[in-house]
Amino acid sequence: MKDITSLGLLHQIIRYVLVSIGYWGIFKKCGVKPYYSWIPLAREYHIGVCANREKEARTFTIIAALSEVLGLINNLSNKDTTFFLILAVVTLSLQIALVVYMIRIYLGLIEIFNQKKRWLLGFIFIESITTLIWGFSSKFVPGRQVSDQNAREGVKVSGTEAPVIESGLTVNIAERKIVDFFKKKVLLKDIHMNIPRGHMVLLLGGSGAGKTTYLNAVTGYEKADAVVKLDGQDIYTDYAKMKYDVGFVPQQDLMRGNDTVALTLTDAASLRLPSSVSFFKKKKRVNEVLEEFGLATVRNSLVEKLSGGQRKRLSIAMEYISDPTLFILDEPDSGLDGVVARGLFEKLRAIADQGKIVIVITHTPDRVIDLFDDVIVLAKDASRTGRLAWYGPVDEAREFFGKDTMEGILLSINQKDEGGEGKADEFVEKYTDKCQKEAG
Amino acid sequence: MSEGGRVSNMEIEATKHTGRFPQMIIYLGKLFRMFVFQSDWKVLPMAAIIAGLVSFAVGDSLFKTMEGTLMGTFALACVCIWNGFFNSIQVVCRERAIIKREHRSGLHISSYIVAHVIYQAVLCMAQSAITIVVLYYTKVTLPDKPLITGLAIVDLWLTIFLVTFCADMMALMVSSLTKSTTTAMTVMPFLLIFQLVFSGGFFALPEQAEPITNTTIAKWGMTSLCAQADYNSLPMVSVWNTMFKMKDVEIEGQKPVWEFLKYAEANDLKEDILIQTASYNTMPEYNFDPVVVFKCWGWLLLWTLVYIAVAVAALEFIDKDRR
Repeated sequence: MKDITSLGLLHQIIRYVLVSIGYWGIFKKCGVKPYYSWIPLAREYHIGVCANREKEARTFTIIAALSEVLGLINNLSNKDTTFFLILAVVTLSLQIALVVYMIRIYLGLIEIFNQKKRWLLGFIFIESITTLIWGFSSKFVPGRQVSDQNAREGVKVSGTEAPVIESGLTVNIAERKIVDFFKKKVLLKDIHMNIPRGHMVLLLGGSGAGKTTYLNAVTGYEKADAVVKLDGQDIYTDYAKMKYDVGFVPQQDLMRGNDTVALTLTDAASLRLPSSVSFFKKKKRVNEVLEEFGLATVRNSLVEKLSGGQRKRLSIAMEYISDPTLFILDEPDSGLDGVVARGLFEKLRAIADQGKIVIVITHTPDRVIDLFDDVIVLAKDASRTGRLAWYGPVDEAREFFGKDTMEGILLSINQKDEGGEGKADEFVEKYTDKCQKEAG
Repeated sequence: MSEGGRVSNMEIEATKHTGRFPQMIIYLGKLFRMFVFQSDWKVLPMAAIIAGLVSFAVGDSLFKTMEGTLMGTFALACVCIWNGFFNSIQVVCRERAIIKREHRSGLHISSYIVAHVIYQAVLCMAQSAITIVVLYYTKVTLPDKPLITGLAIVDLWLTIFLVTFCADMMALMVSSLTKSTTTAMTVMPFLLIFQLVFSGGFFALPEQAEPITNTTIAKWGMTSLCAQADYNSLPMVSVWNTMFKMKDVEIEGQKPVWEFLKYAEANDLKEDILIQTASYNTMPEYNFDPVVVFKCWGWLLLWTLVYIAVAVAALEFIDKDRR
């Protein structure tokens, strides 16, 4: 019996070594550091990365880790106990999940290496031999390399901080980074600007350029390595108080459809307005805002019965009710036709003219660009970090990028694999030089 | 609030916003409005229908015999768990994105959850009352000896309420932990099966599984109901019924079982035999004792508090939700 156990262990070790050698070759071909092939769990994750199945690889790694821990506990526990049986059932369930995820990952690898799907049987039944063949035969070449974004050099930083202004928004973001599955990712870097009160600003950037990250960092919702001041007051250190002076309207109309318009707004007023404001003043404010946003006629209608435009106006009104100084809107015109969208942006322009700062993300900027004062252009640099490619007046932006339209600007900074011109690095560097020159 | 002009730093510092208690009131108002506008009210007639079905299935011998009481209280506990689960399983996860937005605007998660707790408590109270009314009108014999409050029906209502409410809070916790209604509805049957299998009262479990039974709502609900019904004083009919089935068994041309049954019937001994049989099958954990009931209620309240705490803690991380 003991011999059988020893043989089993020896088989496990040989199998692990052979698969690791095979993975070594595969990792090298795919551009992943080959030593990961010897590290338990790291190799499971990285084979998934090679297969362009990172999401599955994460789940696979977590399940594999859990499975190992349970296996260890099971080996240490008494085989005759109920506890052992329960653990064995859970371990078996995890093993089933592991096999399913392994199949998904190997199918991804087959796709990347442009091979026939029957190789999957090889990976399942003779994994060690198959991985050795794939790792060391010159016939097996991946169609895509894993790019290590962290290893790439990003565009140089300006390091010129924006001086704090007494009336308006001062943004000095050094860096916004996250640690995601043991990897550090820099989402935003070197963003400095002053936005005076009364300005309506367009936030432009391609997919993944960091627009939402920027907005979350500016509002203090997700703090960055930054100093953000509104009228000289630090948003980060006084976030608990300052958040009421910042209105953020999300892209989706996040409201309860089965409540009435007036009551939705009344509840929003109760949440957002200072507690010192009396009930009657709140009611008055609700009525004013209903009138201002053209919702008075539907005040007793259920939210779910409103049209797209009315719903959007209500969503904006919910934030506007507290009269915030900084007003941010994420694609307020999504799903609205041109006329309704134009009306909405004119309303936003009127809000800015009251001395507020309005920052808007929109994917159809050109139909309303005349209403904006400034434009912020964010772009992904070579290291896939969101960088500032422009902040300033709209007309100067056209001149800077040599484009007539905002969509043209967007096209020029988008990566080539996204159908753009791939000039992000060029413009980020040009803008950095401009800032450095202006700062002397 | 500024009038379009600047808000001074001191003004912002000094401004106080709606606290936890007023926020809870706002949400409570919202939830009761939803009760009318939305389909939440449907849980009340649903409770009546389910209670009616249980009464039809097990009502005849519920609180009358040991076997009927064991089966009936198990069914009753399951009904309460079912009602509780359905009340809350989707309430948080279906509006998760809205909660995230409101949290960003200053919503206190504890206020939100406490509003749900109070609202659900009211729903559970109503459902428990409806269940008892249905049992009463379908002629189910209800316990008549009070143990805690002086009124047996109130004791029964309290137990049914605590079981329903505990299950409701468990569902609220699941709803707070899951990010979609699909996930919540997938998890629910697993929890229900766990409650049924590991209650330990109806299905015999190995000794090692005993600690697990303490985590189930069904166990404490069933134990409390059995204790309130004075389970150990009820007659046991299974031996008599088995003997009746064996009445034609012949031994050396005689039918001794039949003879015995005839003798017992003729001398009014049947009830005594049923009670005597029961006395050999009493269970101390179902004693007609306030301590037993208080212990069950204590466990139910403890788990209710744990579920509420986990729900609050889980939702505090709502800002981490991806878009």
